[in-house]
Amino acid sequence: MNAAAQGEVQIQTESDIVIARRTVREAAAQTGFNLTDVTRIVTASSELARNLFKYAGGGVMRWRGIEDKGCLGIELQFIDQGPGIPDTGLALQEGYSTGDGLGMGLPGAKRLVDELEIQSVVGKGTKITLKKWRKS
Amino acid sequence: MNADSISVIKVRDILMVTMPPDPDDPTVSALQDKVLSAMERYEAKGVVLDISSVETLDSFFARTVSETAQMVTLMGGRTIIAGMRPAVAVTATEIGLTLGNIETALSVDRALDMVTSKPRSKKLQ
Repeated sequence: MNAAAQGEVQIQTESDIVIARRTVREAAAQTGFNLTDVTRIVTASSELARNLFKYAGGGVMRWRGIEDKGCLGIELQFIDQGPGIPDTGLALQEGYSTGDGLGMGLPGAKRLVDELEIQSVVGKGTKITLKKWRKS
Repeated sequence: MNADSISVIKVRDILMVTMPPDPDDPTVSALQDKVLSAMERYEAKGVVLDISSVETLDSFFARTVSETAQMVTLMGGRTIIAGMRPAVAVTATEIGLTLGNIETALSVDRALDMVTSKPRSKKLQ
């Protein structure tokens, strides 16, 4: 996969979470990630896609190939117009959950990737961007 | 059988439960019902949960598996998770997922060896 490759998946139903996982699996494999890294990226995207569905009433996942100084990677964005996250620091804390989850979705996802950034405005929505770089 | 659904087969006193590679959330949720009703129907002694084809184990999936195993224990049965792939084990550990005190086995073969050997004495915590 070259750095220009990109795509998006609308996440409105539970089966869209499966489509998001498959899309990310394929994109990560094409970027040349090894199986363990592919599994890490897919697992992180599964957590975040489910959050979109469960807490924000749906949204969109965008992915694209990225490159920095000859290093290839993948960037995923999860964008919703949901209620927003009042305290993003708290949301990244282990065991914190407003729903019936384990509270490990977001902090767990963060540990599986190289970068995770949350931009959120209460009442407007949330954009979570994560990046994973291929070890050369 | 639908390739995307859970299969439950009774072998002697054991329920062989096989998870599809990439189940959606409703399929994962159905695990609990299928396993518990089969436990009752067949008076099974335990469950071998084959996850060898599972490619992604996220927190929702792990929680469902862990809760189902707890329920099987409460019904007097034993659960062994079999065949977790290496990449899945690495990811699950990094994300902080634990499967409680559920027994695990490298493969379904090993799991069946465990079931037919002496029963487990450890109590539900």
